[in-house]
Amino acid sequence: MAMMNLDSILEGRRSQPHMLVEVMLDLQDQEGYLPEEALKTVSKELGVPLIDVYRVAHFYKAFSLKPRGKNVITICTGTACHVRGSDLLVNQVKGQLGIEPGDTTPDGQITVECVNCVGACALGPIVVHNESYCKNMTPGKLRKKIDKAAGVKKEKKHA
Amino acid sequence: MPRVSHAKDLEIIRTQVDGKRNRARLEMVIPNGTCCQASGSAALIDAVRAELARQGLLQDVALRVTGCLGFCEQEPVILIEPGNILYCHVAAKDAAEIVSRTAQKGEILEQFLFADPVSGKRIQMESDIPFYKAQTRQLIRMHRFVDPFSIDDYIATGGYKAIAKVLAGVKPEEIIAEVKAAGLRGRGGAGFPTGRKWEEAHEAPGDEKYVICNADEGDPGAYMDRCLLEANPHEVLEGMMIGAYAVGANKGYIYVRREYPLAVKHARIAIGQAREYGLLGDNILGSNFCFDVEVARGGGAFVCGESTALMTSIEGKVGEPRAKDVHTVKEGLWNRPTVLNNVETWANVPSIMLNGAKWFASRGTDSSKGTKILALTGQVKNTGLVEVAMGTPIRTIVYDIGGGPKNGNKIKAVQTGGPSGGCIPERLFDLPVDFDALWDAGSMMGSGGMVVMDDKTCMVDVARYFLKFLQDESCGKCVPCRVGIDRMLEIVTDIAEGHGRPEQIPLLQELAETVAEASLCGLGKSAPNPVLSTLRYFIDEYTAHVHGRQCPAGVCKALITYAIDAEKCTGCGVCLKSCPHDSITGEKKKVHIIDAGLCQKCGICISECKFDAITVK
Amino acid sequence: MLQYVNVMIDGAPVRAEKGTSVLDTAIHVGVCIPHLCHIPGIHDMGACRLCIVEQVKNGRSKVTASCTLLVEEGMVIKSNTDKILKMRKNIAELLVAQAPNSKAIQDVAVRCGVKDVRYPFRNEDCVLCGRCVRICKERAKANALGFIGRGKDRHIDHPPGRLMDYCKNCNGCIMFCPMSVTPCGGPMKKGQERLCGQCDSQLNADAQKMPGVCVWCELGKGFQCSRYLAV
Repeated sequence: MAMMNLDSILEGRRSQPHMLVEVMLDLQDQEGYLPEEALKTVSKELGVPLIDVYRVAHFYKAFSLKPRGKNVITICTGTACHVRGSDLLVNQVKGQLGIEPGDTTPDGQITVECVNCVGACALGPIVVHNESYCKNMTPGKLRKKIDKAAGVKKEKKHA
Repeated sequence: MPRVSHAKDLEIIRTQVDGKRNRARLEMVIPNGTCCQASGSAALIDAVRAELARQGLLQDVALRVTGCLGFCEQEPVILIEPGNILYCHVAAKDAAEIVSRTAQKGEILEQFLFADPVSGKRIQMESDIPFYKAQTRQLIRMHRFVDPFSIDDYIATGGYKAIAKVLAGVKPEEIIAEVKAAGLRGRGGAGFPTGRKWEEAHEAPGDEKYVICNADEGDPGAYMDRCLLEANPHEVLEGMMIGAYAVGANKGYIYVRREYPLAVKHARIAIGQAREYGLLGDNILGSNFCFDVEVARGGGAFVCGESTALMTSIEGKVGEPRAKDVHTVKEGLWNRPTVLNNVETWANVPSIMLNGAKWFASRGTDSSKGTKILALTGQVKNTGLVEVAMGTPIRTIVYDIGGGPKNGNKIKAVQTGGPSGGCIPERLFDLPVDFDALWDAGSMMGSGGMVVMDDKTCMVDVARYFLKFLQDESCGKCVPCRVGIDRMLEIVTDIAEGHGRPEQIPLLQELAETVAEASLCGLGKSAPNPVLSTLRYFIDEYTAHVHGRQCPAGVCKALITYAIDAEKCTGCGVCLKSCPHDSITGEKKKVHIIDAGLCQKCGICISECKFDAITVK
Repeated sequence: MLQYVNVMIDGAPVRAEKGTSVLDTAIHVGVCIPHLCHIPGIHDMGACRLCIVEQVKNGRSKVTASCTLLVEEGMVIKSNTDKILKMRKNIAELLVAQAPNSKAIQDVAVRCGVKDVRYPFRNEDCVLCGRCVRICKERAKANALGFIGRGKDRHIDHPPGRLMDYCKNCNGCIMFCPMSVTPCGGPMKKGQERLCGQCDSQLNADAQKMPGVCVWCELGKGFQCSRYLAV
């Protein structure tokens, strides 16, 4: 795995420590997360101490050190979305999937994240599902979207 | 692609584009920025294009896909010229009708026109719509003429004329004098006089200097910079070129947060095109000036909007700020003199050089010149990007432009300046949008986010929200910010959850003041602003929480109870189905009951109930 | 060839070596400015903010950390104004509330005038002063330790794998860690944290009555504060 795929990312950037963030962003985009072996290669090829590579990996929200789910559901928790009820969406997801933001469901289907503003503030609350933006979300709409993503078709029984 | 090696090459391109435009009988402009796409503009554009082809109108009717036009709440929109007709909330399925009736026959379709929320009257012309009337759209107005993927469009609007004029014989000192006389102040938040910043960088010793465009825009609720960069990236580039020439820099960076993939894409494309045309690179427009720009992406950190943190991020490190005892204009990126300015600041530069300082300074107040783009969002009817002359009262923006409260509730405050700013109560809405006036009121202009809050917003909760945000985003290096914010959050949480003690309020004030002065960087220094401004203007809400154990706005979970109103409940069962905590029971068509012990007050049932049958006490 | 500049510290003229920090200069002439993250001879971070002073320039005063502020000709520094003393006390109070289980931190807190702690104690075992990280990087040159994470998640850690793969066993991190000095009454259990108020700094001088006087605090003793070296 490692060397082949990393060549295109490392090309033109070897021994250039200042390219670390760009390299890691490309790696994250390509693999969906930052594999440990890849980070060791990056450290060596760019000439950055491994501890500093890890500092960068843990500092920026873009990076995930664990593989992400097939569906990444990102809830915007910026001010405008908050004032329009993004909390409800977070509660919905916690209740429905039983995971905290930042985690992935055990079956690897869905990762939930919160982000502090995606910049579509006039249309909040916003949920981004695998790069597609969904506006004016409600807990009901989100529940249906998650059910669809998880392949679930059940309906809650009325008493 | 032809090389642009002389100002007259720009004229040739301008004439070509104008010629092409004049051949079209009608123009349909459809914005396709990130928010527009979230509303479905991409499908609409495809549908319109297909219809124009199908109906044989491709020669007669020009379709221009642009960046944001500002009235985000009404999207997708189509702007039709001539006639300045605005169609709102258009769906892809409407394309056929619009093309065949309006484009072919000139018929106005009433159902798509903007409807005045009070009178119900339909308004045909965009310029007659109240949302636009009180605005002064100097920057945003240009977006309708420019397809962000076309450098020719930008040139046709007069683009790159300013840098051509500068390179033809304006000295760096003269540029700086002009920008100083214009009174341009940084649009990123701090409002530092731009001309003075450039002057200090110009005078700083060193051959290697840099200019940076700060497109990190981390303030939640602010998206002006995203729109400017998506819609008109060349204007920003041109501004940077002029600034670079003035201070003696040959390299520039546009630092874009990674949460803005479209802005990154548009900026990169624009840079590529400018290079192809010879407008970036060596010997620009036949002069000795060499300048190139690169896009650097953020990794997802609000603190990287701070200048020193941004620079260390470009250097490939973690975005931890450093103390600014020596300013970045002397020692910035790689310890070289660096001018860092916000996107909107750069975007204002070309028109200042073309139209002159007097023209720019003719708008605004004594201390704040020009216009400011604001992101008007929250509990207000007309949300979107709004550009006003400095000095416009907040009241005008919220009511005349914004159209008043969204849900009919009373408007209580606006929050300006993001997490570094504060809340301004309704009774102060006659204050003008002006750097100094907002600062004196305990808030700040910030980058331009203006979030409207109504009486269902709890100000203690607002303080808690911002503290949580800042706790998440703090780099953690210094004690006052890392530990101070944590402890302030602890106190505000106690208050919100009903355990607040009276002595915690003065402690909160004292701690906030220490954090504000002792923190290392701007994030920490401004972190207490939401707390300090809510304590200043909404102390009664804090007191209600502490002494009365009540949340007047009905938000703080620990202090409220949900109950179903037996008179309104129809037994439809929607709430029962949607409750993730299984706290609602009831039979079909019979009144349902909420078990207060299980109820987590998440609010989902309230948002689902169509009969308004759930009460909050 | 050493170059000197003239600065004013607390009203007294001082001849300072160019390239040194205000903090080093002050300690050298006997003015104690409390500090935690500073280690003589190691690059300063300006993280703890205990060493803040007021720099008076053009009639305005600016609060800044003296460890990262380099001396310049004509600089005017005030290290013990009421405003600074209050902020320093508040910062020290925050520190001791985070980690009371250290004689060094208790000493520094008392030195800064902390008498009551108004926040619930947390009994953390690290205050993120960064001394271990910088010793490891600059003296041992091992790069085995670093700050990982942001904001509340910030903590000290080593790269994945075993610490021993990177560590050179110099023990610098332990020697310079303020948490390695236990309080007089022994290690505190969770729920029994307190400011004992019995430390030598308290007994030597009432910190608030005589700001700027060296009280031979525990921090300086263990970690080679320049005051100790200067004597």
